[in-house]
Amino acid sequence: MNAAPQSARRIASANNAFFVDTVCFSCRNRLSQQSRRHAATAAAVSDPPPATSPQASSRAAAPIIAKGPRKAYRLMAAPVLSRPPLLTRDLNSFEKAFYLYQKRLNERLAMPFSRYFYYNKGTPADPEWKRKLQARKTPSRDIGIYDAYGNEGWNDEVLVGDRTGERESVVEALIRDAEGKSIVEESEKDQGAVTAGDAQLGEGQRRETTKIEVERPSSRETEADRSGDVKSLNRKLDRTLYLLVKNHEGRWRFPEDRVYGRENLHQAAERILIQSCGINMNTWLVGNHPIGHHAHHYPSQKPIVSKISANALVGTSKESEKEEFGEKLFFMKARIMAGQPDLGSNAYGLQEWAWLAKEEVDGRVGRSYWASVKNMLVER
Amino acid sequence: MALQDVTCAFLKRCSVRNGHYHRVWTAQCRHASNNVEGRQESQELESPGFSSGEDAGQGVGRFDPAAVARKRGRKLPPSRYQFRSPRYYRGPLHPHQPLPPSDPASREFEAGPFSLPRLEQTYHDTFASDYMVMAYQHHPPGYVAPQKGARLRPWTGDSPYYKNRPLRGPRGGDVLKLLRKPITFRNIPQLSGVTVHTMVKGAIDDSAHLHVMGMVLQAITGVRAESHSAKRSVAGFGIRAGQHLSLTCKLEGETMYHFLSKLVDVVLPKIKDWQGVKGSTGDSSGHLALGLQPKDVVLFPEVEVNYDMYPPKMIAGLHIVIHTSATNDSDARVLLQQIGLPFHGKLID
Repeated sequence: MNAAPQSARRIASANNAFFVDTVCFSCRNRLSQQSRRHAATAAAVSDPPPATSPQASSRAAAPIIAKGPRKAYRLMAAPVLSRPPLLTRDLNSFEKAFYLYQKRLNERLAMPFSRYFYYNKGTPADPEWKRKLQARKTPSRDIGIYDAYGNEGWNDEVLVGDRTGERESVVEALIRDAEGKSIVEESEKDQGAVTAGDAQLGEGQRRETTKIEVERPSSRETEADRSGDVKSLNRKLDRTLYLLVKNHEGRWRFPEDRVYGRENLHQAAERILIQSCGINMNTWLVGNHPIGHHAHHYPSQKPIVSKISANALVGTSKESEKEEFGEKLFFMKARIMAGQPDLGSNAYGLQEWAWLAKEEVDGRVGRSYWASVKNMLVER
Repeated sequence: MALQDVTCAFLKRCSVRNGHYHRVWTAQCRHASNNVEGRQESQELESPGFSSGEDAGQGVGRFDPAAVARKRGRKLPPSRYQFRSPRYYRGPLHPHQPLPPSDPASREFEAGPFSLPRLEQTYHDTFASDYMVMAYQHHPPGYVAPQKGARLRPWTGDSPYYKNRPLRGPRGGDVLKLLRKPITFRNIPQLSGVTVHTMVKGAIDDSAHLHVMGMVLQAITGVRAESHSAKRSVAGFGIRAGQHLSLTCKLEGETMYHFLSKLVDVVLPKIKDWQGVKGSTGDSSGHLALGLQPKDVVLFPEVEVNYDMYPPKMIAGLHIVIHTSATNDSDARVLLQQIGLPFHGKLID
């Protein structure tokens, strides 16, 4: 991209084997079109290229030209199927303390709560609100017991070790409030459900009214987390999980296969997903460009003659034989919405599959593969 | 190193804080913290220090600032607990400097943020990287981007009046469109703000309509609405200059993310027979707008909870303008589709 025009043109000449080897056919076409267009508009463009600078001349003096026949590599595609995080991450202690303190400061600075705009006088909601407010001294439900306008409004900072800002206590407070209790258990009379005077027994006798049971939110740690079930998509809901498969050699990698015929990487990745994991997955391939690559050169520069058979799912594929000097694998990003892999009738002899987070992928794949893959996987 | 030692020793000798004169000087200053009673109280407190969790647990039960205040009985002098930041800035040499706005005691302090919004996290974890992959444009090695000529063209011809005339507009129109830069990891379109706007026709006759909509906007967005007056009288609309007829709320950051996630997940799915946002929406610069009817405004949970408190038929519709950092409509549309906003009809940039 930053090469001087002269050296670029030298690289771009049709005789240069290095150029023909490393740059794909469509890019070579586009470059040659561009060089023709640039030559035509050279007169129109007023500013000349800096040909006299010492940098350009040194680059022009040593163009990158390799001599030798063109080398063929096995072109492969691999879909990186991921389930994005379904939950937000846990807040760290600083964030929890900061948010609680900001909420308490807001209590002191904001206008007072307009009670009769929300609770009509004379309705049963009104005395219920009054009772709850007396218990926690503030309309807010998630800042604990704090009176911003009272004599002790200056005492807005909680002590070290206080659990008011923790997620569990906030959720507990909201649920208790929805159930009609005060947010913190104060005294014996407040425990349990709302009580009312019984008409039959008399004024003094109290009977329990129907309990309001509010559904508690599910735990962030699921059954799959506790059992360590790597086949489940319900594990590690706050992390991204990637699909790894164990191939016939026993190596853990992303599902991969050769690109056949005239199919492009996007089509190849979709086909590989179906051929390896079955059709019972609702997936989406993101874009047409790969997110990473892994090159493996066969040892001691000895090529391997491979027999390519026609793939039934690719119409333009033909039987052929090719001498290949290595493999070039391109990773395509995909997302899963629903479903699970099914290796029952897979075409590659895959033995096992697993949904793994980034550090778990590290533990299972080979070192050179991990070096190619680690920067395209997300931490969360 | 030798030079460092010399410098340290030199500084110690020259430092005022440890010297005899400093101690004499401070002893003569009257300060509330130097009072005898004040010293007794400060000795009551624990010595501060960054203690570990176990030590903190022991200290938590004993340290109770409110109990100390209650036990005191007498009132403290006001200077001990009252402080007001100066109202006017009187220059850098004045003894009383205003506090930075981030300080809670400052007059300009605004509390917040109160949470880490789910939509913001999802954008940074999921949407941003997907956007980069989708918007990537491959250029082969040796590619040089074509130079764009000057877009504002000079007047060329024989006429002498062309000299020093202001430049002509770009080809194809009179408006200079924003240039689209290639999207890289530094340049991914983001949500930058939301403006909620309502023009209340009922306020022409009765200003109560405007107050009602102000309450509605405050409840929906969590931000105090700003009212705007008509600049000119327009007989066709029946408005007079100076009449306060419209309200806007500008949302940024946390309030914006909360509002948008509420809109996309709660309000819009409840709208009966809603087709989606019109595909022709947009100002060609990456800001898209949608409108809500009065019957849909009521679907916001904050309005629905006490709907009967609002006077009947005083809730008007509103416009929601979503500002993004994209420079054209199609990029902004992709971002909003990722968030979950559907579009219908022909997509026009």
